[in-house]
Parts: sequence; structure tokens; C-alpha cells
Amino acid sequence: MADETILLGAVAYDAKVVPIWEGIREHFRGQHVPMDFCLFSNYERQVESLLAGHIDIAWNTPLAHVRVKRRTQGKSLSLGMRDSDRDFKARIVVRKDAGIKSLPDLHGKTLAVGSRDSTQARILPLHFLRAQGVDLSSVKLLPFDTDVGKHGDTGTSELDVLKALHEGRAQAGAVGDLIWVLEQAAGRVDTGKLQVLWTTPGFDHCMFDALPGANAAKLEAFKRGLFAMKWENPAHRRILELEGLKEWLPPREEGYASLTAALDEQGGW
Amino acid sequence: MTNAAIAIDTGDLPFGGGMLALVRPALDLLEPGGVLAVLTRQSHAIDELGTWCKVERHELLEATADQGGATRILLRKGSFGAPRGAIEDNLDLKPHGGRIEAADMLAAVPFAPSADPGTGFAPRGARVEPGGPVYPCTINDLAHAAPPDVAQLYDQAVSAQWNADTDIEWARIKPLPRPLQRALGQVFTFLAENELSALYVPSRFIARLHPHYVETAQFLATQMADEARHIDVFLKRARVGGGGVGISHATTSASLHSLLTLEDFTEAAFLLSVLGEGTFLDLLRYIEMHAPDEVTADIVRRARADETRHVHFGMSHVKHALSHDHTMYARLEAAVRKRSATLAGAGGVPYAVQDSLTILAAGGTDPAAVAKGHSAFRELMEVMHENRVKRLLNAGFSPAQAQTLSDLHTPNFM
Ligand SMILES: [Fe+2]
Ligand SMILES: [Fe+2]
Repeated sequence: MADETILLGAVAYDAKVVPIWEGIREHFRGQHVPMDFCLFSNYERQVESLLAGHIDIAWNTPLAHVRVKRRTQGKSLSLGMRDSDRDFKARIVVRKDAGIKSLPDLHGKTLAVGSRDSTQARILPLHFLRAQGVDLSSVKLLPFDTDVGKHGDTGTSELDVLKALHEGRAQAGAVGDLIWVLEQAAGRVDTGKLQVLWTTPGFDHCMFDALPGANAAKLEAFKRGLFAMKWENPAHRRILELEGLKEWLPPREEGYASLTAALDEQGGW
Repeated sequence: MTNAAIAIDTGDLPFGGGMLALVRPALDLLEPGGVLAVLTRQSHAIDELGTWCKVERHELLEATADQGGATRILLRKGSFGAPRGAIEDNLDLKPHGGRIEAADMLAAVPFAPSADPGTGFAPRGARVEPGGPVYPCTINDLAHAAPPDVAQLYDQAVSAQWNADTDIEWARIKPLPRPLQRALGQVFTFLAENELSALYVPSRFIARLHPHYVETAQFLATQMADEARHIDVFLKRARVGGGGVGISHATTSASLHSLLTLEDFTEAAFLLSVLGEGTFLDLLRYIEMHAPDEVTADIVRRARADETRHVHFGMSHVKHALSHDHTMYARLEAAVRKRSATLAGAGGVPYAVQDSLTILAAGGTDPAAVAKGHSAFRELMEVMHENRVKRLLNAGFSPAQAQTLSDLHTPNFM
């Protein structure tokens, strides 16, 4: 008899990943949905494990998601995402004293960017800047390749970008909208020094992925359990807060078109 | 709170450089669904406010150009995480005669009939953000948590505090004959041991009491400070003049152990304060009456004034609980019977306590005086019983119940 337990993969980008998935597993148990998880240290191995059928579902970054889509010829199944994964943007933040008033002013300046596998702090900002006519060969990049393999999940490289901007090691920097706004809301940005130059178009973030041939009953049970989590429930809220969402939402694909284009252009597959 | 729109002007404040410090408090004044109009001259702030609204689950309705290069943003407050409860905005606590008593505060922000353990340590009247943990408090209803005069008793307790170091005229104590000195040491040893239980027993209930009824915790804190002082002053008196501390009896230990293991706040108030501390009032009066010197009389007089307040609180608590919950009579009676069964075979008043109280009343060891001391001690037992019966009647027990419960009371007095 086949194991009914849904095996989910997630990347351990932070110690909180353990209480998050322990909490979700507990919630699923209450919903009579057997679920277990295994943690990977990087998204590359998680993607390979999903493709090899070792896990049923992968909780993927956008980069891992589009790679799974490509590797399955577009047939992989998308199960759900966080409310906070939709309409993500990236910001080009500049020092007020750098004299950068428009995108062409970036030429000849230092642009701090996040990890090479960070969608929001590197891949898409560079893609969108190029689309806006910025000649990237005449911009000096200051990359922060921290936590490679985690696809920018830790946010460390974005905090590095902000730090470099505050300290004047870069005149401009690319950060995700969420980090930029949350750092401000927490009072950690000196708005006397930094300001937004430009905001990228929207794109979508993480996704639960499964293979096209996956056990349909398992996937249905997973979605039922997932969408039963409510912010108003204190036990759920603790987990949702840790995972950075208020509500799980159904999937949508159109938010990943720009990333696919960026990977084609940058040879990032 | 209001559903009407509120408008604020954030000038050219950046989003993370002051704008939020105006936006967040304004949103706090609105009910979920209420609309906030924000006027800003910061072009990027509009977009940043949009992201922030998404994170916080507010809705950015529209952003329109206003006159003079400003933008008018309309936000609809979301319901996620909105603190629950009414805004306290018409409460202006006024001093009377220059004073603000805890009772004034309670009158202004009265107790609710019951409290939600999910509000934790939120002060009464605070709006509580949902999603906090459930606290392990088990005394969550007014009937069992707080009698009506608790704040007045707390006010009285605070102004009646005294100092066992500087308020007692220690230097005026004169040497006593050795047997009397020893008897005095034994009496105060016994008092201190009982005071220790009176310090520990209330402490067990503070953490179980819902913080909504904080005045009860505050009163218990004063009671514990009183007991701490009594332990201090009694042990000092035992040792000044060389009487020394005496014997701790197994009966006393068993009796006090049976108080410490109580799990119900009202049962504990009944057994400790109404019956135990009530009986101690007569004991302290006896010691005062037979005190060998004025300083010793002063010490027990001060302690008795404090104990009177503890008994008063215990009576108020028990009567309040009884008036809301008639099953309490049977429960309290059962508690007395159960304790009595635990103490069965413990014998009478511990011998060292009996003898020291006799010698104290005799003022020495002269046989004729000891005979009188013995009668005084027997009389004390009578007075204690009569007064216990009166307190039980006052609490609403029938005369027959009062007689039985008083008879079943511990030979240890407390
Ligand atoms: Fe006391
Ligand atoms: Fe007391």
C-alpha cells in the first residue's frame, strides 16, 4: 500500500523554518491530513529531489519554480502561494548625495546588488534596468553573494545592500520592496540619506510545486489543509507570521514571465 | 472608534522617516473598514505606503493629485490584527483633595464579570491586539477573583505600612526572667512559622489570577509584604533579650502544609484568612494583653492591625463568592472537613505553644500565677471558638454549620 503521507520539501534558510513546518504539520494532523517535511540546504537539491520523485511537493522560490516549470516542459502543478508573494517589486535605492536623478545617471556609478540567485535583489532588477535602457556594462556592480543556494530567502544580501548604501560604499542599490518597506517601518532606514530612484514592475514570488504525475488525492488534501489556516486562529497566526503571510492564495503563473525572460537573457537557467 | 474618515497631512515626510508615525496612530483610531485620507508631498511614499498596506492588509483605495503638488491617498483600514475593544478617550482621572486612590481607578475602569485569558497582562481597559498567547490563569471571573472593596483595602494597606526596623523602640526592651524570656521566644517562633505560611499561600494564587483583577493581586502583594514584616519583627523579638527561637511542632507543620497544598483560591481565603488569621486576631490580642513590656505589646498591636485587614479581605472575598455561587457553602464545608481528616490524630494545641502562652499570661513561673495563666489560656480557646462562630455566621453559614466548622478547625489556630 502506498504511503498516504504527503512529503514536502522546504529549504532551511533560517532556524525558524523548523517551527514553521512543525507547526504546519501539527495543523495538518488536526485536519487529518498526514504530512511530513524534509529540509534541504539549497533549492538546487530540492528541485532535483522533486524531479526525481523523492518528495511530493516543494516549497519553491520563484527561481526554483520557473526551473521546475522548464524542466517539466511547463506541466508541473502549482498548488498555492502566500498573499505576500504576489506583485512583488524591487526598488532601486540611491544615496541622496550621489546626484542620481534618473536611471541614466546610474552610468559610472556603483550599484550594490544581492546574491546572484536572488530574484528580487539581483536577477530582476538588472533585467528591468536593462529593459529601461540602462547600459549595465557602464555600471559598476557591488555584489553581495551571501547565502547562495537560498535564492535570496534570507534577505541577508539585501540588508548588505542597504548597509553599503548607508555607509557610502555604493551610490545605488537594488533591494526587494518588502525588505525596503519593512526596514523603514522598523525605523532602520535613514531617510535623510537614502531615497527611492525607481521601482520595477511587479512579479510573483514563492510557489508550492508538484510533478504532473503526482497523487491527486494527496495534492487535494494538501490544498485543503493549507487553505484552512486562518490568521484569526492564534496557533495558525504564530506560524503565518513566521512564514510572512496573512493568507494562503491559489496559484497564478503570469507573475513569473519576467523572471523567465531574465533567465533567458542572463543565461541563468 | 469610528468608521468615519480621518484625514492627516504628512507633508513631505518620507515613508520611513516620519510618515508612518502619523499614519499608524491615525489608523488606530479607525474601526476596520474606516477610511484614512493621507495628504503627502512625497511621490515615492505613495508606492511604499501601497506595499506596506499590502503587508498589513489595509486597502489603498486611490491616490489623486491634490492642489499644490500634493497627493491625496485614501486607505481603508483592514481587519487583520486590529486591536479589540473600545478606545479609552473620555477618561480623565481627576484627583480629589490632591489624591488619586486605587478605588478611584477601579470606579473609573470597573471590573468585567469575567476575563479572557487571551488578554494576558494587558492592563484593564487596553485594546488588545489578537493573536497573543493564552495565559495560564484559572481565576477568571469576578465572583471568585475580586470582592467589591478590594481597591479600598489595597489603599488602606498601602497607607498602613510600617517598618520593623525603625518604628519599633527596640532599645526600650528590658531583660526578663529566663523562663519568661524562653516562653516569649517560643510564642514568637510559633507566630513566625504561621506567618511564613501566610506569606506563601497567597503567592500561589497571584499567578493564577487573571490580570484584569489586578487590584486583588495588588492587595495580596501588600498582604505578603505585611507577612514578610511580621516574620521579621517576630523573629527579632524572639531573639532580643536572649529568649531565642524555640520548637517547631509537627502539628503546626502538618496544619500549615494542608494550607499550602490548597488549589482553590476561595477555599484558601476561607481556611487561611477567615478561620486562620481570624483566630490569630484573638491570639494576638491575648499576647498584647499579657505582654511583659510595652514594646512587645506595640509589636503585636501593629501586627493585629494588619491581620484585621487580611481577615477583612478574606471575609469580603468569601462572602462575595458565596453570594454568586451557592455551591460554595458545601465546598467550603467540605474543605474544612477534608483538612480536619488530614490532621486527625494531630492532638491538641502543640504543647510548647500551650505552655509558653500559659507562662506568658502568668508573667513567670510562680505556681499561683501559672494557675491563672492556665485559666487565661483555657479562656483564650473559648474566645477563639466564639469569634470563629461569629465570623462563620457573618459569612452566611447556619448556626449548626458554624458550630461544627469551628469545632473542626485546626488545633494549630492557623
Ligand atoms: Fe501576619
Ligand atoms: Fe496575615
